[in-house]
Amino acid sequence: MLLNQFLGLAAILFCIGVYGVLTRRNGVMVLMSIELILNAVNINLVAFGAYQGDVGGQVFALFVIAVAAAEVGVGLAIVLLIYRNRRSIDVSEADLLQG
Amino acid sequence: MTEFFNDWGITALVFLPLVGALLMMLVPAKDEELHKTIALGTTVITGVLGGFMLWDFWGMGKANWSTLQYVQDRTWIDVINARYFVGIDGISAPLIALTLLVVPLVLIYSWNHIPNPGNAKMFLILILVLHTGMLGSFVAQDLVLFFVFFEVVLLPMYFMIGVWGGEQRLYAAIKFFLFTLFGSALMLVSFLALYWVTGGTTFSIPGLADQVAAGDIALGTQVAIFGGMFLGFGIKVPMFPFHTWLPDAHTQAPTQGSVILAAVLLKLGTYGFVRIAIPILPEAAVEWAPWIGLLAVIGIIYGALGCLAQTDMKRLIAFSSVAHMGYVMLGIATLTPFGINAAIFGMVAHGLITGMLFFIAGSVKDRFHTLEIKRLGGLLVQAPKMGWILGFCTMASLGLPGLAGFWGEFPAILAAYSPAEGISTTLFRVYMVIAALGTVLAAGYLLWLLQRTAFGTPSEEFADDPEIVDMHASEWIAWLPLLVLIVFFGFLPGIIFDLTDGTVVDRLGSLVAEGSP
Amino acid sequence: MVATLLGILAQIEQAPFVRPAIDWHAVAPELVLLAGGALVTVFDLIFMERGRKYIPTLTGLTFLAALVPVLTLWDNGIARSLFDGAYITDRYALVLKALFLLSGYVIVLMSTNYMAEGDYYDSEYYQLISASILGMLVMASSRDLIGIFVALELISIPAYLMAAWRKRDLKSNEAGLKYMLMGVFASAIMLYGMSLLYGLTGDTKLRSISSAIADQGTTPIITMAIIFVIIGFGFKVSAVPFHTWAPDTYEGAPTPLTAFLAVASKAAGFVALMNVVLYAFEFQPEIAEPFIWLLSAATMTVGNLIAIRQTNVVRLLAYSGVAQAGYMLAPLAVYEVNGIEASASAVVTYLVIYAAMNLGAFAVIMAAARRTRSGEIDSYRGMLNWAPGLTVLMTIFLFSLAGIPPFGGWFAKFEVFRVLLTGNTFSGVSLAVIAAVNSVVAAFYYLNIMKNMWFMDAPEGTDQSKLKIPSPLVAALAITLIVTLVTGTVLAGPLRNATDFLAF
Repeated sequence: MLLNQFLGLAAILFCIGVYGVLTRRNGVMVLMSIELILNAVNINLVAFGAYQGDVGGQVFALFVIAVAAAEVGVGLAIVLLIYRNRRSIDVSEADLLQG
Repeated sequence: MTEFFNDWGITALVFLPLVGALLMMLVPAKDEELHKTIALGTTVITGVLGGFMLWDFWGMGKANWSTLQYVQDRTWIDVINARYFVGIDGISAPLIALTLLVVPLVLIYSWNHIPNPGNAKMFLILILVLHTGMLGSFVAQDLVLFFVFFEVVLLPMYFMIGVWGGEQRLYAAIKFFLFTLFGSALMLVSFLALYWVTGGTTFSIPGLADQVAAGDIALGTQVAIFGGMFLGFGIKVPMFPFHTWLPDAHTQAPTQGSVILAAVLLKLGTYGFVRIAIPILPEAAVEWAPWIGLLAVIGIIYGALGCLAQTDMKRLIAFSSVAHMGYVMLGIATLTPFGINAAIFGMVAHGLITGMLFFIAGSVKDRFHTLEIKRLGGLLVQAPKMGWILGFCTMASLGLPGLAGFWGEFPAILAAYSPAEGISTTLFRVYMVIAALGTVLAAGYLLWLLQRTAFGTPSEEFADDPEIVDMHASEWIAWLPLLVLIVFFGFLPGIIFDLTDGTVVDRLGSLVAEGSP
Repeated sequence: MVATLLGILAQIEQAPFVRPAIDWHAVAPELVLLAGGALVTVFDLIFMERGRKYIPTLTGLTFLAALVPVLTLWDNGIARSLFDGAYITDRYALVLKALFLLSGYVIVLMSTNYMAEGDYYDSEYYQLISASILGMLVMASSRDLIGIFVALELISIPAYLMAAWRKRDLKSNEAGLKYMLMGVFASAIMLYGMSLLYGLTGDTKLRSISSAIADQGTTPIITMAIIFVIIGFGFKVSAVPFHTWAPDTYEGAPTPLTAFLAVASKAAGFVALMNVVLYAFEFQPEIAEPFIWLLSAATMTVGNLIAIRQTNVVRLLAYSGVAQAGYMLAPLAVYEVNGIEASASAVVTYLVIYAAMNLGAFAVIMAAARRTRSGEIDSYRGMLNWAPGLTVLMTIFLFSLAGIPPFGGWFAKFEVFRVLLTGNTFSGVSLAVIAAVNSVVAAFYYLNIMKNMWFMDAPEGTDQSKLKIPSPLVAALAITLIVTLVTGTVLAGPLRNATDFLAF
């Protein structure tokens, strides 16, 4: 069973995602990076589930996919809202509030 | 009646003022007369109820005074064994009586002396809340309950100084608050520490005293815990060197605040020593006694010298408080029944006399709009009655035999001649001499105050001021009881000594058994 | 791979799906709330504009109705377990459900006038609040990673939307964006930790995870899993260094929602954290405790130090809320010596009292903002004159937050200190000392607000007439005031008894 390869892939995806969140300034790109992390999670869950012979992992992954869709939907709505008001989706420009 | 006292008496006594305050919150602020009536009415009812209870207590006879009476011991916070445990005994009775007397008098005085910026409603509500806090502290027999009431007192006083105070009120209020908060934080820590070292079964004061006596807690631990309490209570007293908040608070507070502060609040600190610190940790008290005595005599001398340097009448009285509380602390530091009885008498006497002095200072300020000693003078000419009352109070304050002040100071000094077993007699005899010297200084600054304010001719700027009139009716009503009591206790000090003696002997427990009879 | 999958499928075929027995009474609060939320939606669709003004009342009644089964369950007194222990309704869960429902009710009261006067979509707002509270109810009972994750998202997603509710206000947009990005990122990290936990144990139920990793000690992978999960919740409870979103979001979001985030949502985060730490990491204190110790110490210290510099009341409360989260984390840093019950009780006691006093403070801010139109502390000058009642209330709430008797806050802090000091361990005592110093620092900035309200005169030209407060806000103030007062005095004992989870 090629568990380690799956885990390695997931870990790489996770790191790329975290890097993206921390460095990208574009709201949509940040959301995409978060999607990468969530996909890393899904790969982990499915791989572990298969390895352990347990359906729990797959079920969990399904929940993650569904909830992530809702999350990204709401996220894009908010980014769009900002774009409408400001004509930009650069997160670093959102700096009215500081402290 | 007795049944009511036993079941509800103390609860009713403590929370009646709070009920009055709640009632006042429902009345619109512009109806000031009604507010004053409710406030005064509540405190008078409380006073009458308390009077009946104390009369009943008196009637039980000497043998019963040392046991807690009207005890209520109910579940409160189960999990930490904190209980609603209240009661009255010989130590608390005189102080409760003092509180019950002073607060209505302050309210009578407030009838036409609401300080700027007005808002009688809030002012009177704060006094009532203060009343509940003070009474609660004196009846609480559980450390957590005591702590809660002890803190309740803090808030109204903070606002009284901060809102109705003088020009430096912000500074004084915050200083007062932070000093006392710091002290009570340490006090709470030592209460908790005490709770754990005794096995975590009770917060009740008698219970803890028994457990400490029965257990074998290392002396070092006891001394450390006593240290925490010492800071908490010592700041409240206030003892040198923690006294710096007091002159500021007193000078800036409105008259009513000063009177309550001097008459009752300062006693919470000394009461804490007598009620909590010493009975629970007698062995640690012996270790600490020389230091307490030292700070007490430093306070006496420092307070007296401070008085001589003051130019403001209220500040001078505040420093004299530091000196007088020094005598009280010296009496406590001897750890003998004699000394502690004297200390309790000293608390009552100081409450009556210094409260009175602050009343006079307030009235002088009302008329002259200043308390600078060098601008005052000739009070006897312009307001002769008030001038004579001032003279009378300074005499009482300097400890003239035949007035209450004498019985607070003289026995305390005498007690230092032979402190309890285990304390250096030589050291305390030195303290005794210094304290005696302090009385001379006290006579000095008080007569000096009297001479410069009451005697002589009025200064030119106030010579024909029409605002300067003699006593108002409200002043007479508020002051007379205090004046009468100063004389009364001067002639019959035995009443308070009888009341406290049995209890003090009982609470000192091992200290008395080991020491002189 | 294919073979394994086929194996699983074969397994599933062999054991036909059997519907698990459902204890309807145990899930009644959730069902009532769900039905109520649906009712509100339908009501809005039928009556449209005409029904608008009844929506808040209806939502509030829904919350109160959901409280009824909570009380019957409490009275019933049996811990109920559903889905093989993945969903448990015990006293611990019930206290929290009651807390969430009551906080929700108070927040609806606070929102009523704000939303009606502000030209916002109001019925959707109440539907979202109901959804979020529903998530909290589920969270209180979840003892399973999937349940916790779904509940957390059910709480958060509506909150992202509500934070950006003032559509045309850039500040509000920004609040929503920051909260959303941080929140989603945090849940992603938490999920990664959860996936590792699942991989280690092959189970998603907390109890099973706990026993499966009990004897595995502290392998790097366990450490990583635990730390990722705690970081994820650290964002939710605004623990330093994951707190950066909180002040910005609090200031920009509509004030009732700020109260919601600062109280209900934070409480839900704590519940999740407690469930995971106390159930799943019960035997790994050597990893979880030092990490939480650090979070707690940093959170209270940094929160207080930044709070001192704030000039805006809402931001000040936000940072003070960060500091308060530090106190609440503290009992979780010493769960090994005290046992998990003691730590959980202290946290829940704190949560209840904190909810009352903080919601109260926010209600005062909202009432005052009707006059000042600003959250600057300066604008509170002379409040004693134009709103004496509010001044006294604010004073009580702030003193309570500062932990001064006789208001509830002192008892909350007392419980934390008691738990910290009980075991007499170095970590406990040192954290208690840090907390004590912090309480004094905190008293300083609370006093500063009071100084402005009581001691300073209002600037020239301020409207000095008495402030009128709408009745829903008065009701919110009354509820929070009563709770703040009684929890510090007469009901301190009963409250502590209710949170005594010996049957944890």
